[in-house]
Amino acid sequence: MANKSVLFVIPVLFFSGLLIYLILWNLYYSFTDWSVINPVPKFVGFETYLTTITSSTFIDSLLHSLEISVIMVIAGNIIGLLLAGLLFSIKSNSYRIAIMSIFVYPLTISMAANGLIFLWLFNPIIGINWILGLLHLPQPAWLAQDTIYSIILIMLWAYSGLSMLFYLASFMNIDKSIIEAAYIDGANYFRIFRKILIPNSMNGFIISTALLFLFSFRVFTLPYIITGGPINYYAETLLTYQYYLFDSSYFAQSSVVDTIVVAIALAVVVPYALLGMKRWVYGE
Amino acid sequence: MESNKYIRLGPIAKAVLKEIVIIILIIIWLVPIYAMIINGFKSNTAVVTSKALIPTLPLTFSAYQEAWTVLNGPLLNSLSLIVPVSILSTFLGALGAYYLNGLTRSFNSRYRVLGNIIFVLVALGTFIPYQATLMPLAILMASLNLLGSYGGLLLSYLTFYLPTGALLMSVFIAVVPSYLIEAAKLDGASDFSIFFKVVLPVSLPGFISTLIFIFIESWNNFFLPLVLVTNPSSELVSVGVRYFTGGFGTLYNASFAAAVIASFIPLIIFIFLGRYFIRGILALGSGGKA
Repeated sequence: MANKSVLFVIPVLFFSGLLIYLILWNLYYSFTDWSVINPVPKFVGFETYLTTITSSTFIDSLLHSLEISVIMVIAGNIIGLLLAGLLFSIKSNSYRIAIMSIFVYPLTISMAANGLIFLWLFNPIIGINWILGLLHLPQPAWLAQDTIYSIILIMLWAYSGLSMLFYLASFMNIDKSIIEAAYIDGANYFRIFRKILIPNSMNGFIISTALLFLFSFRVFTLPYIITGGPINYYAETLLTYQYYLFDSSYFAQSSVVDTIVVAIALAVVVPYALLGMKRWVYGE
Repeated sequence: MESNKYIRLGPIAKAVLKEIVIIILIIIWLVPIYAMIINGFKSNTAVVTSKALIPTLPLTFSAYQEAWTVLNGPLLNSLSLIVPVSILSTFLGALGAYYLNGLTRSFNSRYRVLGNIIFVLVALGTFIPYQATLMPLAILMASLNLLGSYGGLLLSYLTFYLPTGALLMSVFIAVVPSYLIEAAKLDGASDFSIFFKVVLPVSLPGFISTLIFIFIESWNNFFLPLVLVTNPSSELVSVGVRYFTGGFGTLYNASFAAAVIASFIPLIIFIFLGRYFIRGILALGSGGKA
């Protein structure tokens, strides 16, 4: 491979290298005091880290981001697993694919457009609360203090299909004869789901957990659209906060938040990539 | 058999119950797109006075006219940027993936380690919260006098989508039978012609999947244009829709029409070529199976 085909990999190396440069740039400036007040950056050690991570907005953002990610990983996995179980029980291929597509289509609509639609659906008078009222069900105040849970609901609608796909792929890889043998022994579908499908979907669980975490940890558009801007007390996340800091020229503080975000993501991406390499590249 | 008595009692009832569950789930999942379509055709007064889930007559196009005036320019800008972004990301990604595939299959362990390191970089570029690297990128673009220019946007999008292209194409190239590549090498074919005459044709469905996945993802990207587009005349459609919200329940009558205009191209691609998109998603994790 040491011949001129090395040219093939230059674009990939160039842009991956650029990305590393951007990450290191953030790391470097996170140790300075660069802001609109100090236009000439000066090295200050961990001082900017201290002032940033002790601010209540940062703590709120961090907690919101973690809350969104944890709930998404748990609820997304459960819904994805149940949907996959439901789809796997459908015998007709074309019927299964049609229903599968309905659970996947939200992934193709931009979160900005989703946000616009849900702003109307969450309207207390003409939105879904109208139907909940007719059914004498509780009518939550979707866009008040609990906005973050409304945002999680939208994300569950959008991302559960992702989780479902990986569980379904795991189920499909199970040897059909095991399942048929269980049917012949008189097991019903629920029993097969619990005793055969779930124990054999470890791969689906790992992929779905990693992707749900990464996709929900980097959520930006929904809080931005739903609350109408980069700063909002009830739905601030690490990524909306770093944008607010950048937008208002607190460059070093924004770099601090960025570096923390990248560090958390790296802790998930690197093991996932090393693990995934076996499947991706070596086809194991 | 005795222990299964209760479950065996009503196979028809069970089948009916399953269909009811499926129908309820389908309705829940379709509510947003249903609301988007019916409300787009309401008049400016009907959209704020009628229930969002009930269609009204007569159908009007005023909301579309209003949204179209704002979004027709951004729609064209998006097309002229995202088409090259997705083609370049997929093609250059495929080239890199072919080389990586050679490295990771090499008998020389140093090449294999190198291949693994590049691969982790590629995964990093695909999965990292890219928003966290946009401030340095914007400052870099500004220092190169590229901020807000077409070239600057293209370079920025490639920074985040070319790794995705390389990662997905690695999956699809990994399953190209290696004896095909070896046979072509024995015939004295160059890497260049092996790539074009063997690897690309055999992995064409994967190429289309990658292309479609990157097109839809980059089309919908909100943060890149939010930060990097500085000139209103080069606004992209994914960000243009934000003119139709004030946040926290502030309603604009044309927002449904705006949502339709922003999402009809990805949706049409999904309706006709959805299985390629799904294969693209699966390649993010499970190596193209199922």
